[in-house]
Amino acid sequence: MAKLWAVTKREFLERVRTKWFIIVTIFGPVFFAVIMVLPAYLSVRGMKDVKVSDIRIIDATGTGLGDRVATRLGGGPMGDANVTQVVVVAPDKMAAAESLATHDVMNKLRRGYLVLDSLTIQQQKASYAGRNASSLNEIQIIEQALRSAILCQRLEREGLDPKRVEKLTQVRVNMSAERITDKGRGGSGIGSAIFGFVIAFLLYMMIVLYGQNILRGVLEEKTTRVAEVIVSSVSTDVLLAGKVIGVGAVGLLQQAVWLLSATAFYHFREPIFVKMGMPAAPAISLPQVPPMLIAALVLFFILGYGLYAALFAAVGAMVSSQEDANQAAQPVVMLLVFSIIFAQPVMLNPTSRLAEIVSWIPFSAPVIMPMRMSAIQIPWYELAATLTGVAVTCALCVWLSARIYRVGLLMYGKRPSMRELARWIRQA
Amino acid sequence: MTDIALELRGITKQFAGHVAVRDLSLDVPRGAVYGLLGPNGAGKTTTIRMILNVIAPDSGTVNVLGAPNTSPGLLDRLGYLPEERGLYKKMQVRRLLRFLAELKGVDGKTADRRITEWLERLSLRSPEKDWGLSKVDELSRGMQQKVQFIGTLLHDPDVVILDEPFSGLDPINAQALKDTVVELKHRNKTVVFSTHLMDNAERLCDSVCIIARGDKVLDGTVAGVKSEHHKRNVALALAGAPSDGVSAILADHALVSRMDDNNRYFEIELTAGGDAQLLLQRLIGAGAQVQRFELIQPSLHQIFLDRVGAGSVEEGMTGHG
Repeated sequence: MAKLWAVTKREFLERVRTKWFIIVTIFGPVFFAVIMVLPAYLSVRGMKDVKVSDIRIIDATGTGLGDRVATRLGGGPMGDANVTQVVVVAPDKMAAAESLATHDVMNKLRRGYLVLDSLTIQQQKASYAGRNASSLNEIQIIEQALRSAILCQRLEREGLDPKRVEKLTQVRVNMSAERITDKGRGGSGIGSAIFGFVIAFLLYMMIVLYGQNILRGVLEEKTTRVAEVIVSSVSTDVLLAGKVIGVGAVGLLQQAVWLLSATAFYHFREPIFVKMGMPAAPAISLPQVPPMLIAALVLFFILGYGLYAALFAAVGAMVSSQEDANQAAQPVVMLLVFSIIFAQPVMLNPTSRLAEIVSWIPFSAPVIMPMRMSAIQIPWYELAATLTGVAVTCALCVWLSARIYRVGLLMYGKRPSMRELARWIRQA
Repeated sequence: MTDIALELRGITKQFAGHVAVRDLSLDVPRGAVYGLLGPNGAGKTTTIRMILNVIAPDSGTVNVLGAPNTSPGLLDRLGYLPEERGLYKKMQVRRLLRFLAELKGVDGKTADRRITEWLERLSLRSPEKDWGLSKVDELSRGMQQKVQFIGTLLHDPDVVILDEPFSGLDPINAQALKDTVVELKHRNKTVVFSTHLMDNAERLCDSVCIIARGDKVLDGTVAGVKSEHHKRNVALALAGAPSDGVSAILADHALVSRMDDNNRYFEIELTAGGDAQLLLQRLIGAGAQVQRFELIQPSLHQIFLDRVGAGSVEEGMTGHG
């Protein structure tokens, strides 16, 4: 046990001490936060930057509608309405005003012009011409301003106080979606989807980053020939176990840091969002996960990692160079990619036959089943059967890998063929 | 407490149809310096790996200090320096050494103390510079060899096994290694080392075992082996290159049965009826300027060539341990 501890400690500490680990662990969350916030931030900024105020409004309605639109385009009653030009013309001078406006747009004096006439009042028809006519975003803003202006005008005509009208017409909709299970309402639908995806993603990241890390570690011990010194002191089984546990602990530490910072970010999101000028994101109520389910999740996580870690270690012991390693690792990587390409279809339709089957296969179950588990209710016997399958496969992989590892660690040269590999497994 | 440090009984190991070690039995007395000699590919490394339980023999048993080498904790009393040396390159020297000590069951505090002692002793630590705080790959090759050597001895093993310890060592480290081997012997530790360099073995070893192609050729104390192979050998050194007359005498098969010709130095084996005095008279008669003429025991090198044969050496060159 003391030796297993020594190996585990070394594997853990030597990795945690690297610059690479510190950078990824600390800057990972920053990176993810930026990726999450930046698009939202940019689109909010983009909306603000849209320059629709510097247009000309040719108002032939004789009702002051043009001024109302200008107010809205200029940023509401508090904004600078003067930026938007309003030209009030008599209906018979429309053509002249339009050709003058066209000329001004061509000379870049104005961005475009909006024409309001009697038809606008009667049939809600208006026309716009300008350089930005193909920008859906900008046209939508002008349309919105016009619609709101017409609405206000009508309400006022019906005798409502203009101030009340302004207040009443400002409406924001914020719709939440909630999931219902056998046990009743249980958190938001989006919440559990995100939760499931996060679990699957974390495991996937763990395997990709740290499974490969194990492979590199084993290969390093082979190429530097330090392996022989080590195995003259401890058995290969202890060495393999220490490696898998130590590297696993590194991964867990990293993910704990990530999860904690994600939670912290979620907690303090409002001030951050507000500071960036964005509306505070709606609260996502995380699903209520029963303890049994958490236990199952943890088991999937550990078994899934153990399974792939053992396979990667065997690959590392099989080869003597990085080039060989990349090739030999392909089958293992394929198994992993296979699980992740089904992640999206499963998330969209967790009750489908495909989702069921993929979540049963031991090699993809650790990634897919947690996603299904958080999206829909899985009967306990199905969970138990899947977990058993993963556990048996994990044990088998560890057993096979330990044998390959035992023989391969001191073998150099050509990568073994399948036949030679079978002999290694028999003779170990 | 047994007087036998290592006891190998009929160990055999086969790899993919070729026999690396065949039915090998040998005893290494406690406190001895023991040489495992043989050409490359003779099975030395395989034998050593079986002693250390790095690989299991197909048949036969290995006892270390009186117990099977599979007994728990027994490996902690062995120190091993493999032929192919290597260390974790990115690790700090001290941490690496502490790790190696921990693998042998030494507690951290004791390890730290011994590491400091050893680093100072092998001049890897001085008031100006402590290489123990550097990473392994910042050290020169010679220094890395020292670190590896410290790692082998840090847990104060009772039996030290060195596989081709002299290969690749610079002269200073080779001397340090010899000194250490002698010191270990004085402390009643057992040292087993493999080598194909007979000179080293002859000077250092109490006992030897010669193996070739997986078979044991002979074993015993160096003195015993030599007297067993005691023929009438003559060491001859000349002042100048031998004249034709001298060469003719040395080629006379009535007198000389075998000769190792080094141009001015010769190791001569006399024939059964050959007389050393007669040889000396004839050489002087032929005008040879004799600097040394001595009746000697055969060198291990000579015995080795005798028993294993030059052909086997050549053949063995391509193989591995």
